[in-house]
Amino acid sequence: MTVQPDIQKVPLWQSQRVRKAVFAFFWYLFLTATALAVMLPFIWMISTSLKGQKEVFTYPPSWLPKEWRWQNYIDAWKGAMFGRYFINSVLIAVAVTLGQVVTCSMAAYAFARMRFRGKDLLFALFLSTTMISTQVTLVPSYLVMKTLGWMDSYKALIVPFLTSPFAIFIMRQSFMTIPRELEEAARLDGCGRVRFLVQMLLPLCKPVIAAQALFAFMGNWNSYMWPLIVTTSKELRTLQIGLRYFVNQEGGTQWGLFMAAAVLVSLPVVVIYFTVQKQFVEGIATTGLKGT
Amino acid sequence: MQKLRIGIAVCVTVSLLLAACGGSAPQPTATVSPQATATPMPPTAVPQPTAAGPEATTAPTAVPAVPTATTAAPPTKPDKVTLEFWYSLAGSSGQAVEELVKQFNESQSYIQVQATYQGGYAEIMAKTWNAIFAEQTLPHVAQLGGAPLVGATGACVPITDFTDGPGGIDRSKIYDAFWKYNMAGGKIWAMPFNNSVPVLYYNKELFKAAGLDPDKPPETWDDVIRYGQQLSDGEGQWGFNTNDDTHWYFSTMVLGNGGQIINAEETEVLYNSPEAVEMLTLWGDMVNDLEIMPPAQHNEAPTDFLAGTLGMLMRSSSVVPSLSRDAPFDLGVAMVPTVAGKERVAPIGGGSMVIFKNENPYVLDAAWEFVKFMTSEKSSLYLATHTGYVPIYKDALQWPELQAYLEQNPLSRVPIEELQYSYAIPVFTSLGTSDSTLRQAIEAVELGANDPQSALDEAKSIVDQDIKDQQQD
Repeated sequence: MTVQPDIQKVPLWQSQRVRKAVFAFFWYLFLTATALAVMLPFIWMISTSLKGQKEVFTYPPSWLPKEWRWQNYIDAWKGAMFGRYFINSVLIAVAVTLGQVVTCSMAAYAFARMRFRGKDLLFALFLSTTMISTQVTLVPSYLVMKTLGWMDSYKALIVPFLTSPFAIFIMRQSFMTIPRELEEAARLDGCGRVRFLVQMLLPLCKPVIAAQALFAFMGNWNSYMWPLIVTTSKELRTLQIGLRYFVNQEGGTQWGLFMAAAVLVSLPVVVIYFTVQKQFVEGIATTGLKGT
Repeated sequence: MQKLRIGIAVCVTVSLLLAACGGSAPQPTATVSPQATATPMPPTAVPQPTAAGPEATTAPTAVPAVPTATTAAPPTKPDKVTLEFWYSLAGSSGQAVEELVKQFNESQSYIQVQATYQGGYAEIMAKTWNAIFAEQTLPHVAQLGGAPLVGATGACVPITDFTDGPGGIDRSKIYDAFWKYNMAGGKIWAMPFNNSVPVLYYNKELFKAAGLDPDKPPETWDDVIRYGQQLSDGEGQWGFNTNDDTHWYFSTMVLGNGGQIINAEETEVLYNSPEAVEMLTLWGDMVNDLEIMPPAQHNEAPTDFLAGTLGMLMRSSSVVPSLSRDAPFDLGVAMVPTVAGKERVAPIGGGSMVIFKNENPYVLDAAWEFVKFMTSEKSSLYLATHTGYVPIYKDALQWPELQAYLEQNPLSRVPIEELQYSYAIPVFTSLGTSDSTLRQAIEAVELGANDPQSALDEAKSIVDQDIKDQQQD
């Protein structure tokens, strides 16, 4: 009986719940609009991938194909040795991602927690390499591969990328946020450095590691120039080079096929992103806020 | 923090120095010479160095710098020669190359060619330069743009060594411009393969709607302007535009006006001449005064044309088949316009085939057999009927198979007929710089940022300096 007057006193639009709901409505409206804007190229890619060549150029353009050409996907898959390229790209990207997590976490641990002579100089040296553009190192790296006799092999596609100064930097910053007392306590209980890294640090920094792994995977998945330069045989080529085969510079590109191939090539990255999305967002948030 | 910064600065400098040293590492003494993988090895043959370990099966073996016995004893004829062939055509053009290679492999059993796509013109060039300077495995044969520049590095055998030798060909059957197009330093380095000329595409339906005769395409640049004014409606429909390789179309205009691109000694470019300035002024007028061409929208020109919002498009003849297939309207193709009262000039573009040096004469002979096949009348016909490239032979229009094809695809006749006006812009070392500088000058004029005379003066001084720098290296 005492509640009734309250409801009548406060008008509906002033109630806390309604105001929250209205705010949420506009917030989600804004978010949806932004998301759509970001997704626009992606949606356009999918839409084009289902159109025939003539329909691609019709003006004004239409979002939905008049005639859904699923055949584009079959033709695109057959257009290049995508099966083989797929295996290569996955193999290389996975190997590089795993390798980077292993080597970079160890290096990051050393830089974050161990004391040794020349540590700062060495760290600066590592960091400085991130400032050299890949174009500058292309020829020297090529010469190194040649001297090692690694040209046209998986080694040349994987080994040079097994470590990344950027990843070391990010992981070091993240390791430094873990209280030193935790390690001291663990050490007192008889936990060695390796075990501490594997059982304590890595799980604690999971978001950063996941984000870094995704960066590594994506970076490798998208690389084009290096695989093209160091490999000569078709059997070692990656998806991006297969994709390039659809761009007919002088003869006119088949856009429907090209976009179908692009969808196929970008699909794995999208799937991986959604599976590690939670960690990834946390990782970006933490690296952005706490990285000093 | 201060310490860290200094440390970074030092490290960057050191790494850059190291990188610079790495880049100049190739020894000047050794020569580039890919070895043939002659399989199976005849028992009498000198053992080949199996250098590259596990990779040896997939690529021609990398030649180690150590001199081997192969140089001492003359090689015997192998039972079989495997050739590595790099090419740079993708899509349907790439499929045509693969098909020709397949035909060659099936036509005989002595030579086996492995064709590999190595990216577009820019990428295959980067890859080839890297391989040349690092003395890394080169293929035996390659199809690329800017072929004579690769030849002039000393990595290739002049093609005339083969064409004019025993088992050669009659070079006079091919248009002269194609030979000039493959010259550098006075030598012909490559065999013309896939070529095209600029042509004028036009939308017959827009012509009709504007009250123009769709069967009377513009002959001169004056016509282009007159037609363009009728085709532009000021509401998003334009009269004329070119594809984004504007330097090519501008060069076409300059040459058509009696100008030159570079002097005979190839020491300075000549495109600030009155003939060139006159043409760039015309170009600028089309954009700014007459408003028949949109400013700096060359990237979008092909899409605009297909969407029916552009009346005339100047672009390479290599897209004649794809445009005829993709255009939802009645398409017209015309030769490049002339400057009233002057001769038509059509500068050719495209790629050629080079043969890389090899110690084994049998491998070189095999490479020539392959190149000869790929550029033969039969292959030229195949390329002309399956891609947008023109046949390189003077008598092509008399071939019955081509006549039958042109019966079905009459638009493809235009670029072939235009070949009688074909011309080769000399391929000089600064051509890449020259092209991009010209494009910038054109854009500056289109946007009103510079006037034609000073834009071309500036372009000339940049490119001349580049030529000087190249000669000093």
